[in-house]
Amino acid sequence: MSARDIAGITLINHWQRGVPVYREPVVTPTLKVLAVIAVIGLSLAAARLFSPLSPFSGMNDAYAWGIWKTFNVMTLTALGSGPLALGLAAWVLNREKLHVVMRTALASGFLFYSTGLIALGIDVGRPWNFYNALLPWRWNAHSAMLEVAICMPIYCAIFLAFETLPMVLERFCYTGSAQTKATLRRLFPKFRRIYPFMITGAYVLPLMHQSSLGALLLLAGNKISPLWQSPMLPFLYLVAACVCGLGFVVFLLCIACLRYSRPLDVAILSELGTLLSGACFGFVFLQLADLAIRGQLGTAFRFDEMSVLLLIQVALILVPGIALRRRAARETPRTLLNMSIFACLGGMLYRFIPATIAFHPAPNATYFPSVPELLMSIGYIALATLAFGLAVKYFAVLPGNIAEWNYMFRRIGRTQQPVLRTQ
Amino acid sequence: MIAQMNRRQALLGMVGIGGSVALAVTAGAEEHPAHPVAAPDAVAMLYDNTICTGCKACMPACNEANGLPPDTLLSGGLWDMPTDLNSKTKNIIKLYEEPDSSAFCFVKRQCMHCLDPACVTGCPFGALEKSGWGAVTWNSSLCIGCRYCEVGCPFDVPKFEWNKWNPKVVKCEFCYDRLKKEEQPACTAVCPTGAVIFGKRTDLLAKAKERIAGSPGKYFESRVYGEHEAGGTQVLYLSKVAFDKIGLPKLGSTSLGHYATKVSSVVYKWFSGPVLAACFLGSIIKKNWNRHEAERPEREKASGLRDQL
Repeated sequence: MSARDIAGITLINHWQRGVPVYREPVVTPTLKVLAVIAVIGLSLAAARLFSPLSPFSGMNDAYAWGIWKTFNVMTLTALGSGPLALGLAAWVLNREKLHVVMRTALASGFLFYSTGLIALGIDVGRPWNFYNALLPWRWNAHSAMLEVAICMPIYCAIFLAFETLPMVLERFCYTGSAQTKATLRRLFPKFRRIYPFMITGAYVLPLMHQSSLGALLLLAGNKISPLWQSPMLPFLYLVAACVCGLGFVVFLLCIACLRYSRPLDVAILSELGTLLSGACFGFVFLQLADLAIRGQLGTAFRFDEMSVLLLIQVALILVPGIALRRRAARETPRTLLNMSIFACLGGMLYRFIPATIAFHPAPNATYFPSVPELLMSIGYIALATLAFGLAVKYFAVLPGNIAEWNYMFRRIGRTQQPVLRTQ
Repeated sequence: MIAQMNRRQALLGMVGIGGSVALAVTAGAEEHPAHPVAAPDAVAMLYDNTICTGCKACMPACNEANGLPPDTLLSGGLWDMPTDLNSKTKNIIKLYEEPDSSAFCFVKRQCMHCLDPACVTGCPFGALEKSGWGAVTWNSSLCIGCRYCEVGCPFDVPKFEWNKWNPKVVKCEFCYDRLKKEEQPACTAVCPTGAVIFGKRTDLLAKAKERIAGSPGKYFESRVYGEHEAGGTQVLYLSKVAFDKIGLPKLGSTSLGHYATKVSSVVYKWFSGPVLAACFLGSIIKKNWNRHEAERPEREKASGLRDQL
């Protein structure tokens, strides 16, 4: 518990429980900007429901998947895999310290997944036929697409929502009427009884669909550059999800605590840094071993377009892996933040490239997202960011010092919060 | 983690891993073999571009049989003039000319009706399926419009109606309705020169090999394209020009369905992988959860606050 002061931030162990952000106003200029972007994106998405795909997207028969699938779903749900990566570390590897930051991972993960699913719903051409998901005898059990199409909504709507529920309900334990409080008091023991089973499901399901997202690309065969097309794609997609999940939680914790002037917690960040370093090394080892086994190491160092992309991606993951092995680096917020950004970018590139830049479906085919397509994609991200900004103020999402805990939660509708510590 | 695991959990884990391997080994016949074998009644088309005169009679015949509108984008609204397979064109004759104009030839493109089609393997609810006689057909009431068929198809055949609110996946279905009436596909029926002919796959394969044997050196690589490509197709090609030049891609002889499902079909066999993973993770989580819960009163006493999940 050494107190050290680096770059003006006191690094003692401050994170003891989730604490809402009390003092900041709810409506900020950032929130307004995000709201405008989100409204534009969602309006376009709503309009798309009454229109064919073509005026809204630059997709074509060769590049049949645009950024909604390849970025909002395949890439961003990797960032939203924090609940998986942290959950496995906390509950399976028994890193007790990490329980306090689970809520940050859960809130962000839930928002990435739910906005990704909106993107997916707008992207499919015949959504009315999705009722077939309820008729198992119509399932094509060999299709990775089936796995993703069924597993992802179930995970988000049931398991991830279940995990996220306590932090929403907690609020009403303090602010609700006597009756609400009594109901919740009856509910919580039941909740805790099924909790270990539900979180088991919450880890098995993403293990399945995060790897299936990689499995989707296997069928594209040699349309994808041999640097990425590999039978290891599903497993590497899964490991990349862990790299991104851990990296993004570190990034988000640092950024959010900076934004809301929360002190950091060196012990927990250092623990996350260790895990992130391990995940990065694991990923790079697997990727290079896979390239070597498939005899593609020569291609990887040919320094053409694909090879340079690959080397950048490997470097982006390898650098945080090496840097975060040093204790001093793990305990320096600036380094930790930079390295987490590197890891996230590297993992995102690995998930994005094989479905887009390294995907060559036909000789003369080209694809670039159209303006509405981009606006919708950005709109979903703005919606998630905005929702996270609200969540940290209304619910106990961000970790904080127990001394900051105020029994009152911010009242919904009130922008300023002049409450004092009561009990 | 290893240090945290007790002997019973380690044993459970090993039983889990061993069990899944055992399941994999004892799993029955593969649904996606590397080199699929054509059904005995599989039909086929044989297209020979040394015979084709490029009259394009097959194109309006196809449009008529399938109720397709003419693609008049390039002809100023006058006549059918597609540049490639598209959502209005299930069959097309294309011209290939050598860059130095020394030689030219035609090529007919339509669905290849693979023996183990990538589109069928990927289609989540089986909208695309291998129907009778091996025709690959599309069922509108099962398709969610995910377009995975377009991503998977190595021949770029399925096309999507990007301009329709109720979009269809458009591809040659081997004139399945005509096959059911014991008629041959419209394109082979109308072809005046016999450049594309219809028959049983075994018969046409034998015929193609006869032609190759009959005129040595006439055909590119003296082989039939489609005999082994992507595990074998039910449309066979003979060409005087290199196949990849006329748009028939170089492909291995393994079916894409086999490549894409060889690992997942083991992991998901009877759902054993996820169930075993759940048992393994669940046993560790339950133990850690029980301890976490046992320590809860202590934590709540120390902080004076309700424990957070």
